[in-house]
Amino acid sequence: MSECILVVDDDREIVKAISILLEGEGYEVLKAYDGLQALDVLATREVRLVLIDVMMPKLDGLSALMRIREKQNIPVIVLSAKSEDTDKVLGLSMGADDYVSKPYNPQELAARVKSQLRRYTCLGDIHAGSRIGEIRNGRLLYRTDERILYADGEPVKLTAKETGIVELFMRNPGRVFPAEEIYRRVWEEDAFASENTVMVHIRRIREKLELNPKEPEYLKVVWGIGYKMEKH
Amino acid sequence: MDTKWKSIKKIFCFMVFFLGVSLTVWNASSLLQNMPDRQPSWEIGSPLENDYQQTWRFQNYITNRLENFLSIAVNGCLDDWYYYASEYYDGSWYVGEEAYTLREDMGVNEATAVLGMESWEGDDWDYGDWDYGDWDYGDWGYDDWDYWYMDGYQWYERYQEMDPKERESLTEEQERRIELLERRAQRAVERYFADMEGDLNLLYSISYDGKLLYSNSELLVADGSMQMPEGYNFLLYFDGEKVRIVKDGEEVDIYGDGYYRDEGIDWYVPGYRNFPVNEEMKKAVICMAVAKEPLLYTTGMDNSGGYRQQNNSLYWMWHNSIMDGRLFRRNLIGLAAGLVLLFFSCFCRKGIQEAAGKIACLQGKTWVEFKVLILFSVLSAVLQQCLMYDYGYEMWQEIAYVYEYRWEAFSEYGGILLSNLRYMPPLFWVILFWTVWLTGNDLRRNKKVWRHGLIAKCSHAIAAREVKLPMAKRMVRRNAILFTVIIASGFLVLAGTLVAADYGLWRYCNIWGMILWCVLITACFILAAYLVGGKNIKAAKEMDILSSRIDEICRGNYNGSETFGMEGNAESGSGSGTPNGAIWGSDLGNTMSQLENISQGMASAVDEQMKSERMKVELIANVSHDLKTPLTSIISYVQFLKNEENLPEHVQDYIKILDEKSERLKNMVQDVFAVSKAASGELPMNMETLDFGKLLRQTIADMDEEIQNSSVSFRTELPEEPVFIMADGQRMYRVFQNLFQNALKYSLDGSRVYVTLKSDGKLAVASVKNTSHMELDEDKNFTDRFVRGDKSRTDGGSGLGLSIAQSFTEACGGRFELEFNADLFIVNISFDRTEA
Repeated sequence: MSECILVVDDDREIVKAISILLEGEGYEVLKAYDGLQALDVLATREVRLVLIDVMMPKLDGLSALMRIREKQNIPVIVLSAKSEDTDKVLGLSMGADDYVSKPYNPQELAARVKSQLRRYTCLGDIHAGSRIGEIRNGRLLYRTDERILYADGEPVKLTAKETGIVELFMRNPGRVFPAEEIYRRVWEEDAFASENTVMVHIRRIREKLELNPKEPEYLKVVWGIGYKMEKH
Repeated sequence: MDTKWKSIKKIFCFMVFFLGVSLTVWNASSLLQNMPDRQPSWEIGSPLENDYQQTWRFQNYITNRLENFLSIAVNGCLDDWYYYASEYYDGSWYVGEEAYTLREDMGVNEATAVLGMESWEGDDWDYGDWDYGDWDYGDWGYDDWDYWYMDGYQWYERYQEMDPKERESLTEEQERRIELLERRAQRAVERYFADMEGDLNLLYSISYDGKLLYSNSELLVADGSMQMPEGYNFLLYFDGEKVRIVKDGEEVDIYGDGYYRDEGIDWYVPGYRNFPVNEEMKKAVICMAVAKEPLLYTTGMDNSGGYRQQNNSLYWMWHNSIMDGRLFRRNLIGLAAGLVLLFFSCFCRKGIQEAAGKIACLQGKTWVEFKVLILFSVLSAVLQQCLMYDYGYEMWQEIAYVYEYRWEAFSEYGGILLSNLRYMPPLFWVILFWTVWLTGNDLRRNKKVWRHGLIAKCSHAIAAREVKLPMAKRMVRRNAILFTVIIASGFLVLAGTLVAADYGLWRYCNIWGMILWCVLITACFILAAYLVGGKNIKAAKEMDILSSRIDEICRGNYNGSETFGMEGNAESGSGSGTPNGAIWGSDLGNTMSQLENISQGMASAVDEQMKSERMKVELIANVSHDLKTPLTSIISYVQFLKNEENLPEHVQDYIKILDEKSERLKNMVQDVFAVSKAASGELPMNMETLDFGKLLRQTIADMDEEIQNSSVSFRTELPEEPVFIMADGQRMYRVFQNLFQNALKYSLDGSRVYVTLKSDGKLAVASVKNTSHMELDEDKNFTDRFVRGDKSRTDGGSGLGLSIAQSFTEACGGRFELEFNADLFIVNISFDRTEA
């Protein structure tokens, strides 16, 4: 099954690099070099996902995104050299599904593309409602009866302690847990030098479920307070 | 030519107005003034006709004469005691001749005793309790003598009514007196006629019981035929029953309906039903003729050889009447001319207005004190005129009299003021009018009249000298002036009071003078205090403005100067600024303008800095953006190369280097962006309360891997209990991450990094200490951007770590301090503690 992905950037080398990357992953890649071209392509071809740069001639990425959103609900990942939070918020609020800032990590980009496609094609609408014994948060799904965490529908291999931490967080998304509390509730022992232990576990969990463990989107440190699962 | 014509027209217009007003005022006041108090027979026609015989004076004169003539005819003596009282010789008053001679012969006291009532004491006829002995003869006025004679006359009248039996009972002394009085009565009649005889303006003939008693002309035929001689046009004939008057050949209706009414129109002569003729009068026949145009009769004097005017009352009456008529006519013509001119001046109001403007210009150049003086003298002259009845006293006495008595009279009879206004000469009215007009003109057209005057000039000169002094000295000087003025005023009041008391001036001035003096001094004092104190008040206001302005500048408002120094600017704008830039009449004007300059300078500097900072941030943002795009390609393709298999060993090495360097480039670009944002203060902050110790533990835990892989070990000394601070956790994580990375990078192999957190009640201080593996250059500022520990710059850092750490710490409200001690490198980060 070869899914069609549209890559839009005015820098041809970047487009080429991304297409090499994505074709290597087994996707079919369409190329466009400005917003208008992208819209043309979208009008003629069935596209499953769009990777679009923001700063482009003729029609910039965000405007193109708004035009796309008028007709289609396909996943759109915005690629931008602007890496500030405000830029990300702007892009996401305009209807982007994800935001990747340049210079990106190729593996991360590929993982994000994969994640978006899977959620769009396999899982369908995430708001379909959760069944009993399921806790859903963004691309994560935790089945309490099986005690298994799924990321983008794929089960994540976790140790027992890691599963305990994940369950604690999945049951209380958004709540901040100090390291001591996590330790007490998962290890069921008095906390002693808990910070390091908890941190090590969290780092490992991150590596397993975050697309970019260095910039985590789900398991976050609240500096000076504790840890929390971001609500998506 | 045109402008000349215009100015001539202007002058002409104003002259018309001036003459119109002046003539109107002059003549109207003159007319009002000459209007008699009581002139029943005065008609509007008579002054024009110029017939003195139609005035009430003439009527009075004739009826008076008739009364006297009747008295002489019937009693042989005058009805008018005046002729007994005194005679006028050579400008001095003397008593009747008898008294005179008696006084010569017997001495004053005895004469009084003879002439006075003293001798009658104890008789039935008691004429009062006069204590003649106390009389000071030097002070005797003629009033006293008149009174005496009047009494004498009344007594004499009574004597005449006595029956012979009563007369028998009189003492010798009394008889002597009566003889004297009879002689005097006779002499009075003689004098009366002697006075009149030569005055042929009035011809008379007095007969009694068919016998002609007195007459001064044979031309007058007193037979009731009403014939009058040539040159005479008025004839009065009393036939013992009625009075007949023929004037200009026409009979005058005297009695009307037969009743006398005291309304002034009726002739006061006997013959009315309520004023009948008595039995004795019936025997009298009196005839009088009056000349149409009287002449002045003068005779040589018997004893002195000089000339002596006859009675001549009619002549003067006629003369005055002619003069009055002339004046009246002149006034009427003048009034008419004035009104006509006023009417015409209505058509050239514009020209008058312009001329008034010119006059106001001239007035503006006159000192205000001069103007006030003139106004004051005119007004005081008018006031004096209103308050005084009569002249003849010296000015000072008059003023004193006015202040002593007239004020009271004025308050009791306010009408005096108005009634006296009538006696004001017409010129006075004209001057008063123009004074008021000029004052009004000046006040209306010249703004701030008081600005141009001696006092204003003096205060201006003082202010000019003050400008050179510093503010504090000015204040001191003003206070000194004020103090002096207070002392001087007190002294003047005291001195004035004492001097006045010494000279006994209070006798004249009374309480009013004292009040006037005090008011004068108080006015001077208030004026001085106003001039001096006003400046201090102004200075205080300016200080207020200044301080509020400083306050505004402190709060960052550099340009809000709308309310500031308006007056000062306006005045300096008119070119009255002093050489050193100070502003007239403003103590702090200079300071204010300097402050304004400073604030403007600051505003522009801040603007400039903001602008350059913004440009720098924009530049860095743009540069980093522009760097990111090619970097993206580099990283991507390096990645592909890395994934390429079957490459020779050395190529794989090259690729590895490319990978490392591109990664470092990426970090540097991101750091540059972050630090520039932080430095420009545009970093969004998310401040929250957090546990400083936990933050450090979390950071160390987060970097656990790196620490484990390094050759240095961490020693921590963090309190168990929470130490709360207010900061952005994400940013502070970045700070400590940078610090720890630095420590890992630059520490001596095998050495320890000490991380401690100490807190007292207020402050929480985190320290990171490590031993540098190379010598620290103490001159180097490590927090500067792109400053690196090693000069070769070959380690993996961006050179921005400490810079970012400092920027972020300060953005969070903490303090960032670097310390070196030999090879010991210490970073202290301190925050204020907060409650949980």
